[in-house]
Amino acid sequence: MFGLLEGAGFTRVRSTVVPGFAFRKESTRDAAEAYGVKAVLFTAQKPST
Amino acid sequence: MTESVVLQAEEPAPLEGVIKGEVLRMYQEVAEHPEGEFHFYHGRQAAEMFGYERQWLDRAPPGAVASFAGVGNPHLRSRLHAGDVVLDLGSGAGLDSIIAGWQVGPTGRVIGVDLNPTMCRKAEAHAATSGVRMACHEGRMEDIPLPDASVDVVISNGVINLSFRKRTVMRELFRVLKPGGRLSITDIVSAKQLAQSIVNDPKLWAS
Repeated sequence: MFGLLEGAGFTRVRSTVVPGFAFRKESTRDAAEAYGVKAVLFTAQKPST
Repeated sequence: MTESVVLQAEEPAPLEGVIKGEVLRMYQEVAEHPEGEFHFYHGRQAAEMFGYERQWLDRAPPGAVASFAGVGNPHLRSRLHAGDVVLDLGSGAGLDSIIAGWQVGPTGRVIGVDLNPTMCRKAEAHAATSGVRMACHEGRMEDIPLPDASVDVVISNGVINLSFRKRTVMRELFRVLKPGGRLSITDIVSAKQLAQSIVNDPKLWAS
Protein backbone atom coordinates (compact mmCIF):
# COMPACT_ATOMS: atom_id res chain seq x y z
CA MET A 1 0.00 0.00 0.00
CA PHE A 2 2.88 2.32 0.87
CA GLY A 3 4.39 1.76 -2.56
CA LEU A 4 1.07 2.18 -4.30
CA LEU A 5 0.52 5.55 -2.63
CA GLU A 6 3.98 6.76 -3.64
CA GLY A 7 3.51 5.35 -7.12
CA ALA A 8 0.32 7.37 -7.52
CA GLY A 9 2.24 10.57 -6.73
CA PHE A 10 1.52 11.03 -3.04
CA THR A 11 4.19 12.47 -0.80
CA ARG A 12 4.74 12.40 2.97
CA VAL A 13 3.43 8.83 3.06
CA ARG A 14 3.38 7.54 6.62
CA SER A 15 2.11 4.31 8.12
CA THR A 16 1.50 2.99 11.59
CA VAL A 17 0.15 -0.35 12.69
CA VAL A 18 -3.33 -0.28 14.21
CA PRO A 19 -2.98 -1.64 17.73
CA GLY A 20 -5.59 -4.17 18.78
CA PHE A 21 -6.70 -5.23 15.33
CA ALA A 22 -7.61 -8.91 15.13
CA PHE A 23 -10.04 -11.13 13.33
CA ARG A 24 -12.79 -12.44 15.56
CA LYS A 25 -12.90 -16.04 14.35
CA GLU A 26 -10.01 -18.13 15.55
CA SER A 27 -9.50 -19.92 12.23
CA THR A 28 -9.26 -16.62 10.36
CA ARG A 29 -7.04 -15.17 13.07
CA ASP A 30 -4.60 -18.07 12.79
CA ALA A 31 -4.40 -17.79 9.00
CA ALA A 32 -3.97 -14.03 9.22
CA GLU A 33 -1.16 -14.44 11.72
CA ALA A 34 0.62 -16.90 9.45
CA TYR A 35 0.58 -14.38 6.62
CA GLY A 36 1.49 -11.41 8.76
CA VAL A 37 -1.83 -9.72 8.13
CA LYS A 38 -2.28 -6.48 10.01
CA ALA A 39 -4.29 -3.31 9.92
CA VAL A 40 -2.36 -0.16 9.14
CA LEU A 41 -3.20 3.54 9.25
CA PHE A 42 -1.76 5.37 6.24
CA THR A 43 -1.52 9.10 5.76
CA ALA A 44 -0.29 10.89 2.67
CA GLN A 45 -0.51 14.20 0.88
CA LYS A 46 -1.02 15.28 -2.69
CA PRO A 47 1.71 17.79 -3.61
CA SER A 48 0.59 21.42 -3.64
CA THR A 49 1.88 22.07 -7.13
CA MET B 1 7.51 -1.12 6.85
CA THR B 2 7.83 -4.33 4.86
CA GLU B 3 4.46 -5.25 3.58
CA SER B 4 2.48 -6.31 0.61
CA VAL B 5 -1.05 -5.31 -0.10
CA VAL B 6 -3.49 -8.11 0.51
CA LEU B 7 -4.56 -9.63 -2.77
CA GLN B 8 -2.54 -7.57 -5.19
CA ALA B 9 -4.07 -8.69 -8.48
CA GLU B 10 -4.41 -5.71 -10.83
CA GLU B 11 -5.53 -7.38 -14.04
CA PRO B 12 -9.16 -8.22 -14.70
CA ALA B 13 -9.92 -11.52 -13.04
CA PRO B 14 -12.81 -13.92 -13.60
CA LEU B 15 -13.47 -13.93 -9.88
CA GLU B 16 -14.00 -10.19 -9.72
CA GLY B 17 -17.72 -10.28 -10.33
CA VAL B 18 -18.25 -13.07 -7.81
CA ILE B 19 -16.22 -11.25 -5.20
CA LYS B 20 -18.00 -7.96 -5.82
CA GLY B 21 -21.26 -9.78 -5.15
CA GLU B 22 -19.90 -11.32 -1.96
CA VAL B 23 -18.61 -7.95 -0.73
CA LEU B 24 -22.03 -6.41 -1.30
CA ARG B 25 -23.74 -9.31 0.43
CA MET B 26 -21.48 -9.38 3.46
CA TYR B 27 -21.56 -5.67 4.25
CA GLN B 28 -25.30 -5.49 3.69
CA GLU B 29 -25.58 -8.38 6.14
CA VAL B 30 -23.58 -6.41 8.72
CA ALA B 31 -25.90 -3.46 8.21
CA GLU B 32 -29.14 -5.40 8.38
CA HIS B 33 -28.18 -8.00 10.97
CA PRO B 34 -25.45 -6.46 13.13
CA GLU B 35 -26.16 -9.04 15.81
CA GLY B 36 -24.76 -11.74 13.47
CA GLU B 37 -21.35 -13.39 13.64
CA PHE B 38 -18.67 -12.37 11.17
CA HIS B 39 -14.95 -12.99 10.61
CA PHE B 40 -14.24 -9.53 11.92
CA TYR B 41 -15.22 -7.53 14.97
CA HIS B 42 -17.82 -4.92 14.22
CA GLY B 43 -20.14 -2.45 15.84
CA ARG B 44 -19.39 -0.58 19.04
CA GLN B 45 -17.00 -3.27 20.26
CA ALA B 46 -14.76 -2.75 17.23
CA ALA B 47 -15.01 1.03 17.32
CA GLU B 48 -14.01 1.15 20.99
CA MET B 49 -11.16 -1.28 20.25
CA PHE B 50 -9.80 1.22 17.71
CA GLY B 51 -10.04 4.20 20.00
CA TYR B 52 -13.17 5.93 18.76
CA GLU B 53 -14.19 8.48 21.34
CA ARG B 54 -17.07 7.28 23.49
CA GLN B 55 -18.84 10.59 23.15
CA TRP B 56 -18.93 10.07 19.37
CA LEU B 57 -20.39 6.59 19.76
CA ASP B 58 -22.95 7.77 22.31
CA ARG B 59 -24.03 10.64 20.08
CA ALA B 60 -24.16 8.79 16.72
CA PRO B 61 -27.30 6.92 15.63
CA PRO B 62 -27.27 3.39 17.09
CA GLY B 63 -27.74 1.90 13.62
CA ALA B 64 -24.59 3.57 12.33
CA VAL B 65 -22.58 2.38 15.32
CA ALA B 66 -23.92 -1.19 15.25
CA SER B 67 -23.06 -1.58 11.56
CA PHE B 68 -19.53 -0.19 11.86
CA ALA B 69 -17.17 -2.61 10.09
CA GLY B 70 -13.87 -0.71 9.96
CA VAL B 71 -10.39 -2.00 10.73
CA GLY B 72 -9.00 1.04 12.53
CA ASN B 73 -9.56 4.71 13.22
CA PRO B 74 -8.76 7.07 10.32
CA HIS B 75 -9.84 10.06 12.46
CA LEU B 76 -6.68 9.75 14.55
CA ARG B 77 -4.67 11.39 11.75
CA SER B 78 -7.27 13.04 9.53
CA ARG B 79 -6.63 16.57 10.91
CA LEU B 80 -9.97 17.85 9.63
CA HIS B 81 -10.74 21.56 9.74
CA ALA B 82 -13.96 23.51 9.65
CA GLY B 83 -15.05 23.93 6.05
CA ASP B 84 -13.19 20.93 4.65
CA VAL B 85 -14.78 18.79 1.95
CA VAL B 86 -14.27 15.16 2.95
CA LEU B 87 -14.62 12.03 0.86
CA ASP B 88 -15.46 8.89 2.85
CA LEU B 89 -14.56 6.11 0.45
CA GLY B 90 -16.73 3.08 1.23
CA SER B 91 -18.96 4.96 3.61
CA GLY B 92 -21.09 1.99 4.65
CA ALA B 93 -23.70 2.85 7.28
CA GLY B 94 -22.07 6.24 7.76
CA LEU B 95 -20.35 6.32 11.16
CA ASP B 96 -17.05 7.70 9.83
CA SER B 97 -18.88 10.22 7.66
CA ILE B 98 -20.85 11.45 10.65
CA ILE B 99 -17.75 11.85 12.81
CA ALA B 100 -16.01 13.69 9.95
CA GLY B 101 -19.08 15.86 9.49
CA TRP B 102 -19.05 16.94 13.10
CA GLN B 103 -15.43 18.03 12.67
CA VAL B 104 -15.85 20.00 9.43
CA GLY B 105 -18.99 21.68 10.73
CA PRO B 106 -21.76 23.41 8.82
CA THR B 107 -19.37 25.11 6.39
CA GLY B 108 -17.86 21.78 5.36
CA ARG B 109 -19.43 18.73 3.85
CA VAL B 110 -18.96 15.01 3.57
CA ILE B 111 -19.32 13.00 0.41
CA GLY B 112 -19.76 9.27 0.74
CA VAL B 113 -19.10 6.77 -2.02
CA ASP B 114 -20.33 3.22 -1.66
CA LEU B 115 -20.90 0.29 -3.97
CA ASN B 116 -24.26 -0.38 -2.39
CA PRO B 117 -27.06 2.16 -3.00
CA THR B 118 -29.05 0.84 -0.03
CA MET B 119 -26.12 1.60 2.25
CA CYS B 120 -25.82 5.05 0.72
CA ARG B 121 -29.42 5.87 1.59
CA LYS B 122 -28.92 4.46 5.08
CA ALA B 123 -25.76 6.53 5.63
CA GLU B 124 -27.50 9.70 4.43
CA ALA B 125 -30.39 9.07 6.82
CA HIS B 126 -28.01 8.49 9.72
CA ALA B 127 -26.09 11.64 8.82
CA ALA B 128 -29.26 13.71 8.58
CA THR B 129 -30.35 12.69 12.07
CA SER B 130 -26.85 13.60 13.30
CA GLY B 131 -26.97 17.11 11.85
CA VAL B 132 -24.33 16.33 9.23
CA ARG B 133 -24.39 17.45 5.60
CA MET B 134 -23.65 14.27 3.69
CA ALA B 135 -24.41 13.19 0.16
CA CYS B 136 -23.63 9.60 -0.75
CA HIS B 137 -23.00 8.49 -4.30
CA GLU B 138 -23.32 4.93 -5.47
CA GLY B 139 -20.05 4.16 -7.17
CA ARG B 140 -16.91 2.13 -7.46
CA MET B 141 -13.66 3.13 -5.80
CA GLU B 142 -11.89 2.40 -9.10
CA ASP B 143 -14.02 5.05 -10.81
CA ILE B 144 -14.93 7.60 -8.14
CA PRO B 145 -17.94 9.65 -9.27
CA LEU B 146 -16.40 13.02 -8.38
CA PRO B 147 -14.64 15.75 -10.37
CA ASP B 148 -10.89 16.26 -10.33
CA ALA B 149 -9.46 18.21 -7.39
CA SER B 150 -12.77 18.43 -5.56
CA VAL B 151 -12.01 17.22 -2.01
CA ASP B 152 -9.68 18.36 0.75
CA VAL B 153 -9.38 15.09 2.66
CA VAL B 154 -10.07 11.43 1.93
CA ILE B 155 -10.86 9.02 4.72
CA SER B 156 -11.45 5.31 4.26
CA ASN B 157 -11.69 2.37 6.60
CA GLY B 158 -11.04 -1.21 5.56
CA VAL B 159 -12.25 -0.83 2.01
CA ILE B 160 -9.36 -0.56 -0.46
CA ASN B 161 -8.18 -4.10 0.31
CA LEU B 162 -11.44 -5.32 -1.24
CA SER B 163 -10.47 -4.00 -4.67
CA PHE B 164 -8.82 -6.03 -7.42
CA ARG B 165 -7.36 -2.82 -8.85
CA LYS B 166 -5.60 -1.04 -6.06
CA ARG B 167 -3.31 1.00 -8.31
CA THR B 168 -6.37 2.36 -10.04
CA VAL B 169 -7.93 3.22 -6.68
CA MET B 170 -4.81 5.14 -5.66
CA ARG B 171 -4.81 7.06 -8.95
CA GLU B 172 -8.44 7.95 -8.37
CA LEU B 173 -7.74 9.20 -4.84
CA PHE B 174 -4.92 11.34 -6.22
CA ARG B 175 -7.21 12.69 -8.96
CA VAL B 176 -10.09 13.75 -6.71
CA LEU B 177 -7.91 15.40 -4.06
CA LYS B 178 -7.15 19.09 -4.36
CA PRO B 179 -3.45 20.05 -4.54
CA GLY B 180 -2.18 19.86 -0.98
CA GLY B 181 -5.06 17.56 -0.04
CA ARG B 182 -4.55 14.71 2.39
CA LEU B 183 -5.69 11.20 3.01
CA SER B 184 -6.03 9.17 6.18
CA ILE B 185 -6.96 5.57 5.55
CA THR B 186 -6.90 2.41 7.56
CA ASP B 187 -6.67 -0.88 5.74
CA ILE B 188 -5.45 -4.44 5.82
CA VAL B 189 -2.02 -5.44 4.52
CA SER B 190 -0.08 -8.67 4.65
CA ALA B 191 3.63 -9.33 5.00
CA LYS B 192 3.45 -12.32 2.64
CA GLN B 193 1.66 -13.03 -0.60
CA LEU B 194 -1.49 -14.93 0.26
CA ALA B 195 -2.03 -18.48 -0.96
CA GLN B 196 -4.13 -18.80 -4.08
CA SER B 197 -6.73 -20.76 -2.12
CA ILE B 198 -7.30 -17.68 0.04
CA VAL B 199 -7.23 -15.29 -2.91
CA ASN B 200 -9.84 -17.40 -4.68
CA ASP B 201 -12.21 -17.55 -1.71
CA PRO B 202 -14.83 -14.80 -2.07
CA LYS B 203 -15.86 -15.05 1.58
CA LEU B 204 -12.31 -14.52 2.84
CA TRP B 205 -11.74 -11.71 0.34
CA ALA B 206 -14.90 -9.96 1.46
CA SER B 207 -13.98 -10.24 5.13
